[in-house]
Amino acid sequence: MIEIKNLKKVYAGATVVNVPQLEIKKGESIGLVGNNGAGKTTLFRMILDLIRPESGEVLSNGYNVAGAEAWKNYTASYLDEGFLIDYLTPEEYFYFIGGLHQQNRAQVDETLLGLTDFFNGEILKKGKYIRDLSKGNQCKVGVGSCLLQKPELLMLDEPFANIDPSTQFRLKNILKTENKNNGVTTIVSSHDLNHVTDVCDRILLMEKGVIIKDIATSSSTLSELEEYFGVGQIVTPEIKVDKEENH
Amino acid sequence: MISTFFSHELKAFWRSKNTGKSIAVKVVMGILILILLLYVVALGVFLDLLLGKIFPKVDLIVSFCGIILVYFLFDMLMRLQLQELPTLKVQPYLHLPVTRNSVVGYLALTALLSFFNLWPIILFTPFILKVILPASGAMATITFLLSIISLSVFNNYLAMYIKRKANLNGWIFLVAGAVLALLSAGDYVWHFYSMRNLSYLFFGALLTKPYLALLPLVMGGAMFYLNFIYLKGNLYLEELGSRKAAAYKSSTEIPFLSRYGSVGDLVANEIKLILRNKRSRSALIMSSFMLFYGLIFYTQKVYPDGFKIFLGMFMTGIFIISYGQFMFSWQASHFDGLLVSNVKFTDFLKAKYVLFTIVSTLAFLLTLPYVYFGWRVIFIHFVMYLWNLGVNTTIVLFFANRNYKRIDLSKGASFNWEGVGATQMLLSFPLMLLPYLVYWPFSVFGMQYAAYAALAATGLGFVATRSFWIKKLEADFYSKRYKIAEGFRNK
Repeated sequence: MIEIKNLKKVYAGATVVNVPQLEIKKGESIGLVGNNGAGKTTLFRMILDLIRPESGEVLSNGYNVAGAEAWKNYTASYLDEGFLIDYLTPEEYFYFIGGLHQQNRAQVDETLLGLTDFFNGEILKKGKYIRDLSKGNQCKVGVGSCLLQKPELLMLDEPFANIDPSTQFRLKNILKTENKNNGVTTIVSSHDLNHVTDVCDRILLMEKGVIIKDIATSSSTLSELEEYFGVGQIVTPEIKVDKEENH
Repeated sequence: MISTFFSHELKAFWRSKNTGKSIAVKVVMGILILILLLYVVALGVFLDLLLGKIFPKVDLIVSFCGIILVYFLFDMLMRLQLQELPTLKVQPYLHLPVTRNSVVGYLALTALLSFFNLWPIILFTPFILKVILPASGAMATITFLLSIISLSVFNNYLAMYIKRKANLNGWIFLVAGAVLALLSAGDYVWHFYSMRNLSYLFFGALLTKPYLALLPLVMGGAMFYLNFIYLKGNLYLEELGSRKAAAYKSSTEIPFLSRYGSVGDLVANEIKLILRNKRSRSALIMSSFMLFYGLIFYTQKVYPDGFKIFLGMFMTGIFIISYGQFMFSWQASHFDGLLVSNVKFTDFLKAKYVLFTIVSTLAFLLTLPYVYFGWRVIFIHFVMYLWNLGVNTTIVLFFANRNYKRIDLSKGASFNWEGVGATQMLLSFPLMLLPYLVYWPFSVFGMQYAAYAALAATGLGFVATRSFWIKKLEADFYSKRYKIAEGFRNK
């Protein structure tokens, strides 16, 4: 689905992304983790052809994404609020996005009906422009518009960051269904290790622009990641037992 | 504490993305402000001669005292429309251990840093020094200066107060406007009273009774205090900000456009953009004021045909110029979204052409009443309308590919320099010069109609070859899109 070759991005002399080789196969679910400044968003932007890499290329279905339009037909993404047209109401935005994929209003309405639970009654028919929604609700609009596009590749940058716990669970279920039942390739970045290991089959760990770990999720993945991120901070507090009381 | 705020304010000004970048803009800005300032200074210095001309039978000091209140009434009107509230800049300090008094004091004091407070001083001081000082002595001079400064402080805070109140309740603004209108109508239409006599009543008396200066002083101080108290009691974000209480926003569609697929959708979106955001809305309103330009110039016979071309171009195409010069900055906040979405850039460009065509056609139709000044006027308008559709649209879009500045749509357009860069300056040259390059060669040889025909033909030629230009613009865009998107991401 996605193949990255010698991809490099430099800002003011510092290399922020350096990925010599990476292949993502169709139907995989990728979790991207890493601390702030690890280069996750920059990598996303290069896959989406939003910034020009210093060197290297990103191939989507075998074609370089740079300057091409074909990948837009099967790729849906939501990185930040900059992806939303904020002076539209959510309905207007959904119809616009649907229209770009040759869907009529009835088809859009049908997809939105399936998202009723996810929206939790806070998006549709509220009489607000997208700019007046909270960050969490804007994220719901972004994710909703991605699903509306019936993509083959779905990319979300920290989708769990601003949404409430119920929505987090619903989003996890949506991601799993899309991946397992509809064969959608998903790439999701997150700081929440529980969520990523739950949703994704393959975890990429980035540090200073380099993918330092590429692991298939197993039962030990979570503790492995916690060990990396904890860097010696995981101290299990000693449970003191009063011997006198505990004969 | 307040000095720290001021130093932060200065840093915010110098480090902001819009002031920091290009020296060319700073220079032009500086020159424009200087010219404006010079005009006011000149007006102030020659005010005595001017007053002598306008009111030849009245004593100079009497007529001067008469115009002061009239000026301040006008000043109030301007302030209500143009002066911006110093607002959310205090947000980062609200949760810190900084006393409310210093935050509020800072907000109230920065409100004084407005050009509006400079005008009356520059305008009236020369006259006071030239005429009042020799005639009535130092005491009168000081009291006059004091009164004028106090009155502008009073106006300043009254305008702020009304604007803040109006943020919470839109009717207050209308009421304030109505009161101002009634005040001026009472004088100039119904002649209930004379603002000039009223003004003289006070300032004439001030000449002999200096203690009267206390009245404006107290008024100014009281208004400041009222503002201070009001701000202190309402130091909450939603009340400080300029965002109005949300009414139900309904979804709308434009049926005429929805038939045209994604190009139509894009045009519909852009029309919504213009109508639903403050900055674009005020650009549209300013453009519609331009339609009255004809009333100023056509009523005078002295202007040559060459100038009428210019007028025709402006009236039918002002929207292309005023809105188009900031393209694609209008969409800066969601440009990334557009780039990754399934929008073809050809469609994106076609939508811009359609939008320009719709608005220019509307503007042309609105100028039809100028037929009163002869058919020739409409004929020239039509020629320039074709020119606008063909040439100016393409020029504007060519420069749009070179515009990397983000603009905040929620701020007003007047005196707003955000998003202004070298592109806008460069853009004005081809817009102004090109029509003359086509027009002059014919018109110097007296071939008036050939000149018009050449203009119209060029315009039509460009319209006919639009798909070619769209391809060129698209190729151009693809070489620059990373830079554009990058610039738009910089807040």
